Amino acid sequence: MALTETVRISFTGHFVPPSFLEFVDRRAARLDLDVSVESAGTDRVAVEISGQPDLIDAFEMACSLGPLDCIVLDCERAIVHARRMENGR
Amino acid sequence: MTFAQGWHPVALSTSVEPGSSAGTHIDGKELVVWRDNSGVAHVWEDRCPHRGMKLSFGFVRGDHIACLYHGWQYDTGGRCRYIPAHPDLEVPATITVPVFTTVEALGMIWTSAEPGASRSPPPAEAAETLPVRSLYVDRDAAALFQALSANLPSPFTGVGGASLTPAGDNLCRIAAGDDRLLVGLQQLDAGRAALHVVIEGPGSIYAGAGQAHFLGWTAGLRYALEHGSIPAQIAKAEAV
Repeated sequence: MALTETVRISFTGHFVPPSFLEFVDRRAARLDLDVSVESAGTDRVAVEISGQPDLIDAFEMACSLGPLDCIVLDCERAIVHARRMENGR
Repeated sequence: MTFAQGWHPVALSTSVEPGSSAGTHIDGKELVVWRDNSGVAHVWEDRCPHRGMKLSFGFVRGDHIACLYHGWQYDTGGRCRYIPAHPDLEVPATITVPVFTTVEALGMIWTSAEPGASRSPPPAEAAETLPVRSLYVDRDAAALFQALSANLPSPFTGVGGASLTPAGDNLCRIAAGDDRLLVGLQQLDAGRAALHVVIEGPGSIYAGAGQAHFLGWTAGLRYALEHGSIPAQIAKAEAV
């Protein structure tokens, strides 16, 4: 029985939005996470992401490094909800 | 015997024992060849998707291969099944290693070297084979083939000259007297290549002395590649 979370992560820094969002999509796909973009600007990108907590941690760490043309200075994270599922999500 | 197009030999079957792994290349592409404990051979991309460590440095446990770096374990389908740092994690199916079609035939391990490639299967093993050796040289496959053609072995049984005939992509057959050899050619990268040599014949005739005879020939072949011709002492030793 896997615990899944939905969390909102706000990255702040200096972004090229298309580049950062492509990076986000690739990492989410690799980690089997569902992601939706709430906002994407040159100084802030916010996403809502769902999946296993360990994989969300890995996603946050990967995105905090970001692509070469973006700099992530900080990220804030808030749990939207958490629940246990029988077979994944 | 003709091999279907697109198959590459990567090792002699006897060179990769159950529970072991080895690294190799095809045209510069890094591959791991490993054999699970039930004896099935696998050829994959030689890269753990976690941090890029070569899986050929890893270790085989049952039907899993584990990365040396952080112990991520992959099943025979290339899917990650266990991450030691997160033992309770249900590892997602998206974490996989590219897996190449792999078969064993003619005493060698062959691969398509393309993920998910569907190719005609190679022919069933027609005759008993005995391994001689794999020979790795700092020459490309074309130069290696040229040296092979110019330095064919003397027979171990029977008399007469030797001839070489292509037997498909990356495979040729040598006839010398009553003997038959199969030689798989592997282009490792731009400047390196390998030969995988087996005797096509029964162990009752070739085991031991026959293998040693052709082993001596491959030593001469290497010398010829590096120096231009087989020296007299090697040719003499081969003839004994």
